Amino acid sequence: MKKVDDGPHSWLHEHGDYLYRFAMSRLHNEDLAADMLQETLLAGWKGFDKFAGQSSIRTWLVGILKHKIIDHIRREIRGRNLSEAVENDPTSAYFNSNGSWSDAPAAWKENPEDLFSNEQFYKTLESCINKLPEKQQIVFRMRDITGEDTETTCKTCDVTSTHLHVLLHRARLALRTCLNIHWFERGNRS
Amino acid sequence: MRHACKKISQLASDSLDRPLSLLERLKFKLHLSMCSHCRDFDHNIKLIHKVTAMMHTTDYGQTRLSEKQRQQLHNNLNAIK
Ligand SMILES: [Zn+2]
Repeated sequence: MKKVDDGPHSWLHEHGDYLYRFAMSRLHNEDLAADMLQETLLAGWKGFDKFAGQSSIRTWLVGILKHKIIDHIRREIRGRNLSEAVENDPTSAYFNSNGSWSDAPAAWKENPEDLFSNEQFYKTLESCINKLPEKQQIVFRMRDITGEDTETTCKTCDVTSTHLHVLLHRARLALRTCLNIHWFERGNRS
Repeated sequence: MRHACKKISQLASDSLDRPLSLLERLKFKLHLSMCSHCRDFDHNIKLIHKVTAMMHTTDYGQTRLSEKQRQQLHNNLNAIK
């Protein structure tokens, strides 16, 4: 049963902040997040007769928002032609021709909580992530920061799971090296 | 080294995204038991993984629509409907 006060304005009032936060955590851009929220409220209103009432309005709206965000990222990737061929392999830089490490990693002793609460480290990590090639950055953020599952990440970025694993491997190798140079070897360690 | 470190580093990364097959797990464990570099790499990317997972939960905890955004949205909804 539809209530009289159901509609985009009351949804905005009740779920606006929640949906906006959801969008921000995935898009990191205020205007874009507000746009996605608006599209979601309108799409929800248009398709309200399809809302069966099995889930809460909020869950239903989040589902719509999720799709809007995926569509947006897909368009972004296609539009800017962000492809990264599996063939040219940047990971060779980290290994010798026999497959052994060219710059051998050494274990970092810090614990994750301390690193996380260290503002300087946080900045270094952000800047290392920002230096990744764009497609690696998108998949890395989706998987490792947002915690999106493999299937959603693949669908959003138009890649097979094999390609996704290749991209993540590249991203993590690059991040480890970047953090090693800009943080751990610099004597910033507490 | 039977399995080159490059391949093992791919498995170390994959293990964060998918369950390894039995054979892969054996290869991986055996190699790590003999190779401190890969052991250290595995340790380090797991450490990064934990830190990045924390970034998400705290980054936007306090985020709210500003009054201006909220008003704008109400206006837009009125205009489009
Ligand atoms: Zn090794």
